Amino acid sequence: MSELQDTARRLLDEGLVQVVIGWEEGPRGARPVFVTSAADCERLIFDARCVHNLATFLNPRRSQITALGKAAVVVKGCDAKAVAGLLREAQLERAGIVLIGVRCGGVAGEPATLAPPALSAETVSARCWGCDVREPESVDMLVGEAQPEPPVTADLDERVAALDALSPAERFAFWTKELSRCTQCYACRQACPLCCCERCIVEKTEPQWIETSPHPRGNFAWHLTRAQHLAGRCVGCGECERACPVGIPLGLINRKLQQVVYELYGYTVSEDPAVPAPIGAYATDDTQDFIE
Amino acid sequence: MSERALLLTHDGLATLVEELAAAGTPAVAPAWAGDAGRAAGASAAARETEYRTVSGAAELAFGERLPRLSLKQFFLPPTEVLFSWRRVGGGVELIPPPTDFAAQVVLGARPCDAAALPIVDKVMNWDYADELWNARRAATTVFSLACGVEDDSCFCSAVFLEPAAARGSDGRLTPVDGGYLVETFSDKGEAFVAAHRESFTDLPAGAGGEVLAVQAESFRATARERVAGNLAVDHGRLRDWLDHHFDDPFWAGLGPRCNGCGVCASVCPTCHCFDIVDEPESVGRGVRRRNWDTCQTCVFTLHASGHNPRQDQNARFRQRVEHKFLVYPLKFGDVLCTGCGRCSRACPTGQDLAEILADIDARAAIDAGAGAVGDEGAADEAAS
Repeated sequence: MSELQDTARRLLDEGLVQVVIGWEEGPRGARPVFVTSAADCERLIFDARCVHNLATFLNPRRSQITALGKAAVVVKGCDAKAVAGLLREAQLERAGIVLIGVRCGGVAGEPATLAPPALSAETVSARCWGCDVREPESVDMLVGEAQPEPPVTADLDERVAALDALSPAERFAFWTKELSRCTQCYACRQACPLCCCERCIVEKTEPQWIETSPHPRGNFAWHLTRAQHLAGRCVGCGECERACPVGIPLGLINRKLQQVVYELYGYTVSEDPAVPAPIGAYATDDTQDFIE
Repeated sequence: MSERALLLTHDGLATLVEELAAAGTPAVAPAWAGDAGRAAGASAAARETEYRTVSGAAELAFGERLPRLSLKQFFLPPTEVLFSWRRVGGGVELIPPPTDFAAQVVLGARPCDAAALPIVDKVMNWDYADELWNARRAATTVFSLACGVEDDSCFCSAVFLEPAAARGSDGRLTPVDGGYLVETFSDKGEAFVAAHRESFTDLPAGAGGEVLAVQAESFRATARERVAGNLAVDHGRLRDWLDHHFDDPFWAGLGPRCNGCGVCASVCPTCHCFDIVDEPESVGRGVRRRNWDTCQTCVFTLHASGHNPRQDQNARFRQRVEHKFLVYPLKFGDVLCTGCGRCSRACPTGQDLAEILADIDARAAIDAGAGAVGDEGAADEAAS
């Protein structure tokens, strides 16, 4: 902890950045914090409750944050992957940010506990299974002690497999029921580090591509579009599902997308922004022949 | 209203729910939300219950977690048709939506959800009487359930309510041994009890009845005491501070954390803003709908010209606080908040309304002490 705080203090003291984006202890557990003075660096924490994907706050459209000045952001592995996504898509300049990497032993499903929970198969976030970036490499500095492997929970994959085993009609019934609760509030979009469009397609009205009414037609159109736009880009951080006020299991869609993108293109989301995502790459050996 | 309280035993409640279901009268109640398909993936503990139409007592989740969405969906649905239209010859025919809603009853509403209804009534009957809202209100009888207080994010007692507030309720249930003590506060409540009298029992005569009455009062007193420690603010000086600090740097400390998702508004029992959209249904016919909207999104105030008077999340979050604690009180004499705490629990980034109000109140206390007057003219701007 003190290593993280000292690093942040030095960056602010030396004027290398004007704000450090990290986590603090809030009234209901860990939450994002924007530290602009060295004296406030003692507020910074990192533990298993620090689930928020802080790359979300690097969206260049968030002018209330860019107004604070050059930012250093504390990143665990999944945050670093999302930062790489923003760099890959030219939303950020690498020289414009400082990345403070933290060694991560997995995070909990929820940040809202007064003390960090002991991680177990029950409490660990679904995102942590199979994590390949527990010590991010794309960062400017790496802090914290080496961490143990997170507990194994293949829950998400088992649930995707269970859905895959259903007939199309049964699967449609499952999603019809789940999406019936959607109010199209777009909290899933706002929580997503990669949903950073200047104007989301759902907000375009001339023409209106997607019906914004939360009836089955509108809800399916929204969620199908959201999924399509995140294929090969989603880092699997699960923030969309956590943000959803009505508990729609969006993680199932995201994990399925990851599986499909891997099967078709052999691609898993990389922490290296130089590795192109399938959506932005051309290959002569593409499995789909229409591209030849 | 009721001269004599009644008792609704657990068996009586079960009978009542079944009877209502059999009669086709929707009974909305807090119910278990989870099912096998979702339980494993649902991350937030707060997602466990929801208000919905129930058909059996096994579904009921009385005295459990606060339902994830408030009651407002039963009066202002997330989407509803305002009118349909179709081309007829050279003109257009408008078809109004039906407003003759069938009677429904809410059993076990949180008092903070019930209290929101008369507060929102005011804006729904201000310059225009909203037929759909009013018709649903008229068709609905609300029995609240005295609340044992959810957690530290509750602050009903800081917004002129209490965990067993009667406001907005036609009747109230309070947990006692064996069931619930029942009181009625309106003709609607009386009529409902009279129509289903066989599900209710008389309180035991003499000491037995007194014991239950004492239990009920003790339950309510314990809850009052429990919530009182969470937050206390002076609304007069809080309003004054908001009125004079439209451009205070304080707001720039709140905007950065905010995702601008408006989950706070979705789960809020008093947030009532809606968007209006036209949707074609086929060639020559379509519908106009209204859908839940929120001042927290960047497009809420975006003008066709491209100008946005609330350019960043600092301005949008300020709007949320000012509308609830300055503008609505000045216009309608009510704070637009019932202290349910849902916004704080549901916020993905830990924005906490009780913390923010305490912070503003502390600043207001300093200002009041110093006799300071802030930037003049802010009130006009805030009210616009």
